[in-house]
Amino acid sequence: MPRSTTDDNSVLLVHAYLDGELDPANALGVTQQMGKEPALLAEAESVKALQQLIHERLPREEAPPGLRARIETSVGGLRRQRAQPSWRALAASIVLTAVVASSSTWFVVGSEPTIMVADSLVSDHIRALMAPEPVDVASSDRHTVKPWFNGRIPESPRVVDLTKQDFPLIGGRIDVLGQTPVPTLVYRHAKHLISLTAMPAESNFKVDRAPRTVKGYNVVHWIENGVSYWAISDLAPKELEDFAQLFRTSLTEL
Amino acid sequence: MRLVASGAQDSMSGLDDNARFRSVVMPHINEAYRLAHWLTGNRTDAEDVVQDASLRAFRAIREFAGGSARSWVLSIVRNTAYSWLRKNRPAAVVTVEDLEAVELQQANPGDSNGETPEAALIAKVDAEHLRGAIAALPTPFRETLVLRDIEGLDYREIAEATEVPIGTVMSRLARARRRLIATIGKER
Repeated sequence: MPRSTTDDNSVLLVHAYLDGELDPANALGVTQQMGKEPALLAEAESVKALQQLIHERLPREEAPPGLRARIETSVGGLRRQRAQPSWRALAASIVLTAVVASSSTWFVVGSEPTIMVADSLVSDHIRALMAPEPVDVASSDRHTVKPWFNGRIPESPRVVDLTKQDFPLIGGRIDVLGQTPVPTLVYRHAKHLISLTAMPAESNFKVDRAPRTVKGYNVVHWIENGVSYWAISDLAPKELEDFAQLFRTSLTEL
Repeated sequence: MRLVASGAQDSMSGLDDNARFRSVVMPHINEAYRLAHWLTGNRTDAEDVVQDASLRAFRAIREFAGGSARSWVLSIVRNTAYSWLRKNRPAAVVTVEDLEAVELQQANPGDSNGETPEAALIAKVDAEHLRGAIAALPTPFRETLVLRDIEGLDYREIAEATEVPIGTVMSRLARARRRLIATIGKER
């Protein structure tokens, strides 16, 4: 029995009636029609039962207590930066400068931009090791680290929890590559620190091949989902590869 | 020059934005979280989505032109959740074309007016089955049902939050409920 348009319409009107969306005239029309058509009445009864069921069985869960605080923190971070000379505008202008001047900026000079990126990141890693703290935000909670970046750079990096795999998160910092700020996550394994920097793959830092070591530090580089990753550490190459593999295969919701 | 000028403007109204954010967005964090939970399927991702959506809302706070703050916030959460799904669960994203195919199937004769499970039967369904059946609805049906029957938005608010005409809200809602009733009726 094919349903005609009017049938469909009256079904919709029954639902709208139960939802209190009809004006009195239409509501009256629907109740009269339900009196005449048992199928419509049955539909109304089952919808009411469903609504009752949902109301009784699915209590509305509150947002976790920490969520509000984290939102306020990250929004507060944005606000402070806005109050200064608009950090994001500044970052945009830096990127613009980099694009305009790309033929002369240092990281695309010659045929070996790769070495330059790795060099720069290894220097940042060494500097971080020598600083009182290797991170600007110290936390093992990715829900703290990720939003910290949110207010500071256009796109915050993917942060995964690898504590169970023995690579606990230590925190994050912002490194500067050429003139562009890039997010770096810091993980620990045994007593070794790993700096993991993420940047858009489609950028001036486009690379063809990455060196395996720079100044005695091991380097692992990969590109995934349009993001170029650089892991730098004094860990053995095999362990650093393992870390990279774990990071790549970890789902964000871990 | 323009960048500098916009920076100066920002600094003058920075506090104002924060106050707006507190009054427009913060009161709806619970709804935002629940919608994100239903869309992503788990709590951790829901938190990420809400946090990301909050930042988007803050950046766009001056675009909020009155009306239902709840719809406005939920539409941002929804869009953020969809971007998240496209990136992380491409298979879970139902396109409008898919949905139309589904609706066409459903409009086939003999499919719906058959037997409606009795109200008494529906009343006995347990929470787990109910939750599973809602989670199994195609995303556009699911979000419409969640916004109406769990969050209690009216049709106009749902239309705003999901960015479709009210007629579409009505047909999605009816189809979502019918599917749900059919599924939970069958499981008993």
